Amino acid sequence: MRAYINQLLDVPSSDPDEARRGRLLNILLLGVLIAALLGLISILLNALRAKTSISDPEVQVLLGGIVIFTFGIIVIYQMNRRLSGRWAALLFLLLLTIIFVFTDSPQELVDGRSLFLFTLPIAFSSLILAPQASFLFATISSAIIAWLATSIGLSVNVFVVSGFFSLALVSWLSARSLEHALKELRVINANLDQVVIERTQELAKSLERERIEAGRNQAILNSIADGVVVFDTEWNAILANPALRAMLEIPTELIVSKNFRDLIEHPRLSPKSRHLLYAMMEHDTQPPSFRIEWDKKTLSISAAQVYDNSKDKHTNIGTVTVFRDFTREAEVEKLKSTFVAIVSHELRTPLNAILGYAEMFKESVYGPMNDKQVNMAERIMKNTQRLLGLINDLLDQAQMEAGKLTIQMAPVHPAELLENLHSVMDQIAHEKRLRLTSEIDDALPEVLNGDGARLQQILVNLVNNAIKFTDQGTVHVRLFSPFDRKWSIEVSDTGSGIPENELPYIFETFRQVEGGATRVHGGFGLGLSIVKQLVNLMSGDIRVDSTIDVGTIFIVTLPLVVPAENKEKWRNL
Amino acid sequence: MSQLALIIEDDEDLASIFAEALRGVGFEVELVADGKSAQERLKNGVPPFLILLDMHLPHVSGADLLTNIIKKDQRFAKTIVIITTADARMGEAYTEQVDFVMIKPISFVQLRDLTSRLMPKEQ
Repeated sequence: MRAYINQLLDVPSSDPDEARRGRLLNILLLGVLIAALLGLISILLNALRAKTSISDPEVQVLLGGIVIFTFGIIVIYQMNRRLSGRWAALLFLLLLTIIFVFTDSPQELVDGRSLFLFTLPIAFSSLILAPQASFLFATISSAIIAWLATSIGLSVNVFVVSGFFSLALVSWLSARSLEHALKELRVINANLDQVVIERTQELAKSLERERIEAGRNQAILNSIADGVVVFDTEWNAILANPALRAMLEIPTELIVSKNFRDLIEHPRLSPKSRHLLYAMMEHDTQPPSFRIEWDKKTLSISAAQVYDNSKDKHTNIGTVTVFRDFTREAEVEKLKSTFVAIVSHELRTPLNAILGYAEMFKESVYGPMNDKQVNMAERIMKNTQRLLGLINDLLDQAQMEAGKLTIQMAPVHPAELLENLHSVMDQIAHEKRLRLTSEIDDALPEVLNGDGARLQQILVNLVNNAIKFTDQGTVHVRLFSPFDRKWSIEVSDTGSGIPENELPYIFETFRQVEGGATRVHGGFGLGLSIVKQLVNLMSGDIRVDSTIDVGTIFIVTLPLVVPAENKEKWRNL
Repeated sequence: MSQLALIIEDDEDLASIFAEALRGVGFEVELVADGKSAQERLKNGVPPFLILLDMHLPHVSGADLLTNIIKKDQRFAKTIVIITTADARMGEAYTEQVDFVMIKPISFVQLRDLTSRLMPKEQ
């Protein structure tokens, strides 16, 4: 009902002022129509009570007036809606003014009870026509009053006329301010609308950007060959990429939004790997990268904490874990260590047998041998030992590359190291007519912590190397403590020396000075490389100082740790 | 009466070289070529004067024989035990449990000289 009335009253217009005026006019039309209908009803009621007769000419004029008036209102209403609001309003006001002229006696209109009627068009006009129209109707009303007054022989009431114009002024001012206020409001509204539109567009754009970025990140994550899973601080998986799904061969539902514990408890995971993963969850007890066994696969895992650095915060927001399929590499590694083990056993055992049989010849176990035969047996032994040495070097190198060679610390007697060195190398030095001498500094403790076998290897390799490159003179070994908490192995020779430009490369694997030296001196060039790697494993360092045709000095410096039970004794020295 | 030396070694050539070295100093030599036979021999046969034990044997390892039979059975209390291994690290680990550790390659002369020192002197 209300909506229907609203629809009836509204005037469609693009100009909001016109629409407002049109609506106001319609409201007035409706009001006036109701008044006219009420007038009609009261006339009919009076006629029924037989106070007046419908046939009375005065009543008939009144009835005719009402009918014409009603018709006029409908015409104006239609005009207002379809043609022009301005003209409709003007017509309405003029009609109203004319009707007022006939509603009462000229006496009352000019100077009595009905004088106020003419104020209505003045007030209405400023609202429904234009603010300044109030002056037009003040003029029209004044003219009518003046005409009526003259026609009945009265003078024009100046107060009434000035009252009309005062009212016109007030109406004009208030209507004008109203229109201005509305206009300003509309401007404000329009600005506000503009701001809202701009903001909405910005928001849409940034949402789009975010969507594109998220899409791109997702695409990157999806195309990574490594399995990626991100956990929150409670170890609940918040996302996982398809590669992880493929790698673990389990559906995403079993990964995403599940706790890491669920994955760890999965039966395909080996018990040992379970321990490793639990250790990773407990934090910081795992190296950043380690391996697990998932079914028949070997996976390498690296985990990193994720920090939020935005807005001056530095909070841990979870862990990103990358799984890499390491199965093939693990197989290759296994193959390599199997190979190393086979080589170690299968190559060395027959060589050991050759060595043994040659020795038996040399020792004349099965009857006396002549000098040439003994010499030949010795040559067989020497070559076999060289071959064994090479195999050992290769195995050491392989083990070091696989990271399997470890240093095992135990109390070591430096004097014993030298004793063993002499027992192995004296003969070799003697054969080249070189002197092999050694000394131990008094300040060096009798017992120190070290890996005896590996220290022996360092000594043998360095001395072997020195003998190889020295043609006459001495190879001297010195064990001493250069400064607090360090001890050194120094091997010096009187050999050909190493050219300065070759010095940086002498510790490289499979390297010999001048490239062709292998042919003259034999060996793979692994000796010094192994020494350097062993020294590094022992947290020490190796230096070399060489002068051409004077000689070379190698100095290995290692941390000096004296076993607890020997400490007291050492201090008392 | 000559002393009995038991050589437990799977490589035929090494076994023959070791046997020759030991015979050379006057031992009576008995050879066993794998872990399982060695197990049987140790459990049932006469306790030898000396055992030369290879740590890398097929079926039952030398380490097993050492810890589960030789070190447990009182019959071997007086037996001299020499282990042979190519792994210096492994050898080091057993120095406390056995009389001698020999690291391969083992020299004929070295073995001969060592065992000759161990041979009880004739009265």
